[in-house]
Amino acid sequence: MAILEVEHVFKSFGRTAVLKDISFSMEKGQALSLIGSSGSGKTTLLRCLNFLERPDKGVIRVNGETLFDGMNGDTKRESEIRKKRLHFGLVFQSFNLFPQYTALKNVMLARELLEKEKEGYKARKKEIHQEIEGQAAELLKQMGLGEKMKRYPHELSGGQCQRVAIARALALHPDILCFDEPTSALDPELTGEVLRVMKELAERKMTMIIVTHEMDFARDVSDQVIFMDDGQIVEQGTPQQIFETPEAERTRQFLARYTEE
Amino acid sequence: MELIMEQLPIVLHALNIGFLQTLKLFFVTLIGAAPLGLVIAFGSMSRFKPLSWLTKIIIWIIRGTPLMIQLLIVYYFPGLVFKNNIWGSGEAGRFLAASISFIINYACYFSEIYRGGIQNIPVGQEEAGLVLGMTKRQIFFKVKLLQMIKRVVPPMSNEIITLVKDTSLARIIALQEIIWAGQAFMKGSQGISGAIWPLFCAAFYYLIWSGLVTVLLGKLEKKLNYFR
Amino acid sequence: MRKGIALLMTVLLTMALFAGCGDKKEAETTEAAKETAAPAGTEAAKETTEAAKGEESQAEKETKEGVSDGDMAYVKEKGTLVVGITDYAPMDYKDENGEWIGFDADMAKAFAESLGVEVEFVEIAWDNKIFELEGKSIDCVWNGMTLTDEVTSSMDCSKPYCQNSQVVIVPADKADQYQDVESLSELSFAVEAGSAGEAEATKLGLEFTQVGQQADALMEVAAGTSDAAIVDSLMAGAMVGEGTSYADLTYTVILNGDDGEVFGVGFRKGSDLTAALNEFFAKSYGDGSLMKCAETYGVQAAVIAQ
Repeated sequence: MAILEVEHVFKSFGRTAVLKDISFSMEKGQALSLIGSSGSGKTTLLRCLNFLERPDKGVIRVNGETLFDGMNGDTKRESEIRKKRLHFGLVFQSFNLFPQYTALKNVMLARELLEKEKEGYKARKKEIHQEIEGQAAELLKQMGLGEKMKRYPHELSGGQCQRVAIARALALHPDILCFDEPTSALDPELTGEVLRVMKELAERKMTMIIVTHEMDFARDVSDQVIFMDDGQIVEQGTPQQIFETPEAERTRQFLARYTEE
Repeated sequence: MELIMEQLPIVLHALNIGFLQTLKLFFVTLIGAAPLGLVIAFGSMSRFKPLSWLTKIIIWIIRGTPLMIQLLIVYYFPGLVFKNNIWGSGEAGRFLAASISFIINYACYFSEIYRGGIQNIPVGQEEAGLVLGMTKRQIFFKVKLLQMIKRVVPPMSNEIITLVKDTSLARIIALQEIIWAGQAFMKGSQGISGAIWPLFCAAFYYLIWSGLVTVLLGKLEKKLNYFR
Repeated sequence: MRKGIALLMTVLLTMALFAGCGDKKEAETTEAAKETAAPAGTEAAKETTEAAKGEESQAEKETKEGVSDGDMAYVKEKGTLVVGITDYAPMDYKDENGEWIGFDADMAKAFAESLGVEVEFVEIAWDNKIFELEGKSIDCVWNGMTLTDEVTSSMDCSKPYCQNSQVVIVPADKADQYQDVESLSELSFAVEAGSAGEAEATKLGLEFTQVGQQADALMEVAAGTSDAAIVDSLMAGAMVGEGTSYADLTYTVILNGDDGEVFGVGFRKGSDLTAALNEFFAKSYGDGSLMKCAETYGVQAAVIAQ
């Protein structure tokens, strides 16, 4: 069964239609790359999945559970959405770490707040805290940041910040981890360390959706590639299909521009 | 000179009593206006238009009129217009009226500073909180509040130092703060009359207090420098 | 939920903005009443609370019968005569123990005693004396108050009990150049706004600057920002010359020696306390106690026969 199903999603800002009838699905453990020029709607699609934007129409399903249905008002309520968001994690282009907390605390904060709301928290407070801290430290070590846990974001390089942000998203065990151009804000020499971490995640069969301009990365790492243009999915397939035998004219033009550069 | 040395203990005693009143008004205003300012800031940022408009009108009125007139209105209006003097005639009622005027006035100034501080926080901070499943409340208290405080400390310092000196306005409703105490010796009080120097002494109290406040707020600013 | 809070806040703010007092008044009254620390505080508190509760009937009564019937009864009921003063030697000032003394203060105590009520002195900002009186935060102004047109038209005043004159203050080293009214025309003056001194300056067509109080006028002369000032002779006696901060100043021309700048006590308009005080003045002048009090504070020369 597909882990994610997106059906006929529409979204416009004022009069500008940004997403026009988007439908696709993906399997558990896959890495899906979304490519396309700026303004093609890929970032908006990602933000819709994370409920930072509300689609105007359409259905979003995860593991068969309907998270959003434009025809059903109940699914649009804030309190409902909050829980459903946790199916997804999102790594931002500009990291958006919380500057007043250490790397470790950045990773721990959301888990702590969620645990606090559960029953029986007070009785096991210390235990829970230690458990969260242990897991956060483990995640940061996986990201190669074992030495930097007590550092504040402004003391870290861009690449290190982005790895903290990935750990922060993973701490909530999302079903699907989304990346919104995770290396675009980085100096070229720092992109490698972030892409390496993402590749490791793909190898461990983390389900991922990646909006990216790194064509080599998309080709090497992803199982599926979607090319978007003007708010529509133009072409979808394996990296081989999209990069070597693209069918649509628009895909060819887009890829040609990239290889020129 | 000898005369001044003789009068000094009497004058300092009177100035101390006046300064105590000044400090009381200072702290009550700060403690009342700092949280009220936040409430007003949220009112003016509300997406519910009538509330934000109303709040903005109130801020406009309060910031657009002199505090001195606000003091007169708060203290004398109930007795003059509604024929019901709610404050009484004693010191306590005058202090209460002065406190209310100062708190409302300063809360409006603070609210605009807070608003700037909150709106300057990158929208990504809220979005990061949202995708991590935090409620708006948690995002405000756990993520934004400290960043806002860091941003508002420098402009707030200016306002707070102004407040130190603004407290002297309360003498318009006969609150006997330090300037009042100093001026008493011009007209004659406790056997000392026609003396100007007590008033200049009062200036030193302000100078030392505002210096102290500046240093403390500077320390706070430094303390918040651990993040950017 | 959020919208509910926003709506509630809007409604509350609108009420606060337009209704002003509304139902908040009662709560505040009790609050203020609690704060009244005077000996007769509980009595006064009850009074105000009742006034707030039985607001309508009370207000009705006051407008129908005026304050006249109420004022004496009002003071007697609360048991306190609240006297509005400023720190102004030798009329009202504090002794070493912080007690209010002075010619006016002592006479006010005696008057309150004759009414069978306590006296309470409240320092006021002089500019706001009419607000204080009408807003009932004080019951009378008894503070060497010159009976100007402004005062007599806005208060009910007692018969004059003291005669004061206005004097010109100049630096002592220039005093001999300015010994008559004609010589004053070239000087710039500082006068207290709304004072009898200002009235004199206007009458003589002098060039003047208004300042907040008489003491400020003296400071202007001392600092050289004005050439001269016009102040009360009673005040000049206490404030300039040897032993003051204004040792270099002196007073020269007396401006209205005869035509009666006089002191009186001010009550609310239509108050029946005015007549009571006139009676009291006549009685205490008759038995010599008024003059005796005046001698204590060295103002006997200024007292007007009652």
